[in-house]
Amino acid sequence: MKRICYLMMLVLLAATTSCHKLESWSDSQRGNFEALWTIMDQHYCFFTEKGVDWDEIHTRYAAKVSDDMTDKELFYVCADMLNELRDGHTNLSSSFNVSYYRKWWSDYPENYNARLVEEHYLNFNYLSAGGMDYAILPQNVGYVRYSSFNSMVGESNLDQILLHLNVCDGLIIDVRDNGGGSMTNVETIVRRFITERTLAGYISHKTGPGHDDFSKPYAYYYDPADAGRIMWGKPVVVLASRGTFSAANNFVSIMQYRPNTIIAGSTTGGGSGMPFNSELPNGWGIRFSACSVLDAKGNTTEQGIEPTPGCAVDLDPVQALDGHDTILDFAISYLTGTSLAYNRQ
Amino acid sequence: MKRTIIFIAVFIAAMLSGYSQEKPVTLRPVTSAYTAEMGGANLANTYLTPLKYTGWSTAFNYERMQAMKFNPDKWVMRLAAGLTLDGTENPAKNADMWRLVGEFSWGMTYRWRLPYNITVAAGGSTGIDIGVLYNSRNGNNPVAVEAAWTVNITGYATWNTRIGRMPVTLRYQPTVPVTGVFFSPDYGELFYEISLGNDSGLVHGAWWGNYFRMENLVTADLHFGSTCLRIGMRSNVLSTKVNNIVTRVVTTAAVIGISGEWISLNPSRGLDSKARIISALY
Repeated sequence: MKRICYLMMLVLLAATTSCHKLESWSDSQRGNFEALWTIMDQHYCFFTEKGVDWDEIHTRYAAKVSDDMTDKELFYVCADMLNELRDGHTNLSSSFNVSYYRKWWSDYPENYNARLVEEHYLNFNYLSAGGMDYAILPQNVGYVRYSSFNSMVGESNLDQILLHLNVCDGLIIDVRDNGGGSMTNVETIVRRFITERTLAGYISHKTGPGHDDFSKPYAYYYDPADAGRIMWGKPVVVLASRGTFSAANNFVSIMQYRPNTIIAGSTTGGGSGMPFNSELPNGWGIRFSACSVLDAKGNTTEQGIEPTPGCAVDLDPVQALDGHDTILDFAISYLTGTSLAYNRQ
Repeated sequence: MKRTIIFIAVFIAAMLSGYSQEKPVTLRPVTSAYTAEMGGANLANTYLTPLKYTGWSTAFNYERMQAMKFNPDKWVMRLAAGLTLDGTENPAKNADMWRLVGEFSWGMTYRWRLPYNITVAAGGSTGIDIGVLYNSRNGNNPVAVEAAWTVNITGYATWNTRIGRMPVTLRYQPTVPVTGVFFSPDYGELFYEISLGNDSGLVHGAWWGNYFRMENLVTADLHFGSTCLRIGMRSNVLSTKVNNIVTRVVTTAAVIGISGEWISLNPSRGLDSKARIISALY
């Protein structure tokens, strides 16, 4: 019995000491600011890569916060602070606004005009399946427009699309202005373009709150689509623009190493940090890059992926007035080896 | 070591003696209980959110206790299974977090019968609990998996008394895991990465420094003939810290249900008038 008493005392001692500490902040303007700064400090993954001095930023922005400021005033101080990260995956969400760093694309030419392609290249006559618009261009080049990786594309969709384009000499995959979505769709599509197990890239996550606490990059691979599926082994041109972001950027990062493939257009928008969500005591949500995805050579693509050397092309607004998409023209020319002047229908 | 060997020898001798001697028939009724619970919950998981969520907790539990065959006066086994659902909100009440956990445990306790109809017991159990915490506002990190296999110390104290003319069995039963293994992703690891095959470092050895849990169950079985109305309270505290992720679950709930003692008899032989009935609880 004596031993049992000792054991019970030990358990009670453990019960009173074993609850692990939870950091907490007051639901005041300053408390919410500190919560936001701390969450980012402990979880954001690109401080070192972008050379951001987060402590200095705290000093600068904390001076702008007071408990008697309004929620909107606090929101804009916080949003400005987050914009210092230059990250399109970082948003602060309140009931009245969502902050968004836009300069990653607004400072660059758009390089994509949907109307231009649909009117002057597709004659408004194209097929659509699984979020993809597709058609055979007069030069016997297949064209697939995928505007969002949020659109779920199924295996049957891809079978139908690639079967339809099977007669073509080459394929253009247009992911300009594609802001990303699900990484699962990236894998589903890429698997149609590879013939063997392929290193897709690496993932490195944070292992602790320190700015440089990262795991050893983990290599991940894609396998070719299952036997019986329609595959594509002919040349491919992937059209990219600054608006090619996040999962679309990841798609480009994998396709760039595929044989017989070029990336044409302009540097992608990056966004290689997979986002986490968290929240502040006042209920505002915060999303931020938390997990870095590297390409197959171990390079970061957070700042974007450049076109294949010699394939950097901007959409010429003057020629666009005449119905020319100069990036698409470049792709058709590459695949057909013909003069640009004959590319357009 | 010497003590352990002596204990095992005595244990085996006690078991063998049970078979070698003519003894009066002993009957070991099964004490089983089906209970529903309703109360409050406090949830926190820093993988999902740094905030503490509060709300309600509900559970359905099954418990089965029986004196062990090899030494029914001293050893009692307990099997418990349950399903718990907690629904909580963040302090601003604009986000939900849910917790759904299934639990199963089995253990044995050694009991001492004390004066005044008091019985105390102590022993061990092993159990698994598996479930998820789901935060509705999160995109890539919406779920934290709660999974553990633990070895626990447990025990109970019962007091058979009466309230007026009604027999009542009061019980207090704590359970505390002392070791085991439990699941946790790394600090900033997405389940997407795990789904790609990176399963290293997901399982952690449990000790009180990184995994503390204590369940306290207080019940009163009000005997109405062969069936009892069981009322009581259950509190559960779980606190873990691994990979810089802190999880805390605190639930307190009122318990209500039915319990009873059941004996399997051969209808052609009936109940032996000399049979000893050895209850699991008293």
